[in-house]
Amino acid sequence: MILLEPHNYIIHTTLAEKAVKPSSLDVQFVDFDGVRFRLSTPDRKTALVLSMNIRCWDELVRYGVHDILKREYGPLLKAEPENEYNVSLEIDLEQLPPDGEQRDAFFKSLALLKRNALAAPFELGFHAQKQLEAAGSGQGDLMALHYRDEEVIYVQASSDRVTVIFSTMFREETDRVFGKVFLQEFVDARRLPTIQSAPQVLYTTREPPLEIRHLPGLHDSDDVGYVTFVLFPRHFANSIVANTTITHIQLFRDYLHYHIKCSKAYMHSRMRHRVSEFQKVLNRAKTEQATVERKTVTGRSMTLR
Amino acid sequence: MSLLAPIICDNGTGFSKVGFAGNSDPSFVFPTAIATRGPASQASRGPSVPSKPGHLASKRGVEDLDFFIGDEALANAQTPGYGINYPIRHGQIENWDYMERYWEQTIFKYLRAEPEDHYFLLTEPPLNPPENREQTAEIFFESFNIKGLYIAVQAVLALAASWSSNRVTDRTLTGTVIDSGDGVTHVIPCAEGYVIGSAIKHIPIAGRDITQFVLNLMRERGEMANVPPEDQLKVAGKVKEQYSYVCQDIVKEFRKYDQEPYKYFARYEGEHTVTGRKYEIDVGYERFLAPEIFFNPEINSSEFLTPLPEIVDGVIQQSPIDVRRGLYKNIVLSGGSTMFQHFGQRLKRDLKQIVDRRLEVNAQASGSQLRSSGVEVEVISHKRQRYAVWFGGSLMASLPEFYSFCHTKAQYDEIGPSICRRYQIFGSAT
Repeated sequence: MILLEPHNYIIHTTLAEKAVKPSSLDVQFVDFDGVRFRLSTPDRKTALVLSMNIRCWDELVRYGVHDILKREYGPLLKAEPENEYNVSLEIDLEQLPPDGEQRDAFFKSLALLKRNALAAPFELGFHAQKQLEAAGSGQGDLMALHYRDEEVIYVQASSDRVTVIFSTMFREETDRVFGKVFLQEFVDARRLPTIQSAPQVLYTTREPPLEIRHLPGLHDSDDVGYVTFVLFPRHFANSIVANTTITHIQLFRDYLHYHIKCSKAYMHSRMRHRVSEFQKVLNRAKTEQATVERKTVTGRSMTLR
Repeated sequence: MSLLAPIICDNGTGFSKVGFAGNSDPSFVFPTAIATRGPASQASRGPSVPSKPGHLASKRGVEDLDFFIGDEALANAQTPGYGINYPIRHGQIENWDYMERYWEQTIFKYLRAEPEDHYFLLTEPPLNPPENREQTAEIFFESFNIKGLYIAVQAVLALAASWSSNRVTDRTLTGTVIDSGDGVTHVIPCAEGYVIGSAIKHIPIAGRDITQFVLNLMRERGEMANVPPEDQLKVAGKVKEQYSYVCQDIVKEFRKYDQEPYKYFARYEGEHTVTGRKYEIDVGYERFLAPEIFFNPEINSSEFLTPLPEIVDGVIQQSPIDVRRGLYKNIVLSGGSTMFQHFGQRLKRDLKQIVDRRLEVNAQASGSQLRSSGVEVEVISHKRQRYAVWFGGSLMASLPEFYSFCHTKAQYDEIGPSICRRYQIFGSAT
């Protein structure tokens, strides 16, 4: 598995299971970036309520998440979200689309709830770019999304591009080293002729990029790195391309950390392999214990019982 | 920021149960299997080492990410180039390379959790060497940077799970756990949350053997003639799960079946997986004979002949004398193979007989007029028996005290893996 999948496995499997055999349930689970979900049947077995709590909800509301969710889920959206949660969807298991592909697509779209919510600033950014392009010049607003405790996504539209900046935080020394190598690879990989059309990537540690340098309260330590993606209009030319761009880019942080962990696991297995090789060498170097037959005075040999 | 729910990971020999604390069922139950590139047999072979240092591009392979776990692993087992591996044998982790990757995909693909934000509760079998615990801690703290870790003994979690039964009045961690899964059955005595290691007994009868026994019975009767050979084991498993129960008296039960076969014989309907042809088979005596091999093992094989109640009695008699009453009073069932109807009642009855007989003999031998007040025997079955260990973990980890029992990342960095040799028992005074 190289890319992380955008949809939530638990939502998808649970819904598919409940569609066949409805029963009461109440489960809570999470997704990346501290998103909490709750899937329950408060009233009757066939009416499922899926609620989501996302920490940067207030910011998302400002960037128009309501419109996107209304567009994606329409009548499913509950007017009043459940207590402690930001958004609730009501799914009636008796009114599902017919079995087969259609139903699977419906479940898939529900499993993409988090992705769709987080898409708000990006869609707004793409939209702003179109307007600015028509106007000829200018800069859009800098949209900040505090999606984790110490990490932020910034999205800014200009007349010819949309800039997405991730600030990432590495708490662990080893992670920082791996992360650095990894991000440098991102910058280098673009030089390969096959992926020339990929967005431009810039990476800096400690020093924030010019776009956000004026912001107050930026962390100033070696743990912080900034990754800048420059999206050109071809990356969101039509809605299909734009959607895949959003899907990939919002999972970037998790993707990065997943691969850091995978690399560590790979390193560990190499280390284990090496240790066992060394042990073999050591075992070869052991001198053999000379076994001398020991005899008593009377000439009888001693044996171990 | 409110804490995210801890993750409970119960990796067993056959199946892994993973999910979030606070739920009543695990989010995922899938086989502990990993399908990797390369033949399965060469488990000891190390990962491929890049041939020569030099050009960076030659090292850019991602072969180490090319694997599947769980159900997908079994589905891909037939794909050319993939081999299937089971990293856990007899409850203990054998291959750490595979296990590390198994966990990696469990967390990122299935649970979709950022391990840095979560506490983890893992389980271990009784008598797990502390070195294994250290290895596990190393992987979780160093590869995954988790916030905190608690490694609990499965038997203790099974005891905790029984608190959900309304027949349990005092929440104690003293009791005997009968844990019967797919591969092996353990009888484990626990006193105040500590496992009495010297008294543990294993019984080589578990789910797999029962299924095989059912299959043999049905083959002998000729029922399996209609069933395609590749489905037979699966059908036997289904029959075991859906129709079996424990009877109180075999002879009476046989008579009942012979007198009124229409009332007692059940019918199983199946479908050929490839051709879609329907078939029906009669389910008869195996309904009560299947679980009977726990109580009369001689009907299955002559290799192991001690009935389960006698084993349980022996285990308790080997334990320290001051906890025996507690062990008799709280016998807890866990695992899928204890799910048979009336299993608990039968075990209780047989055990009670053994205990009463011994008291009787003692009273006669001592010749005194004083009589024992009797020993209370209680077997507790509850709704969450199948995934009892996981459920116990979920209960424990949803307590606010859970976090104080965990070893945190900071403590690990300070002391090293040896910190995980010891864990504080749940519920003990701090």
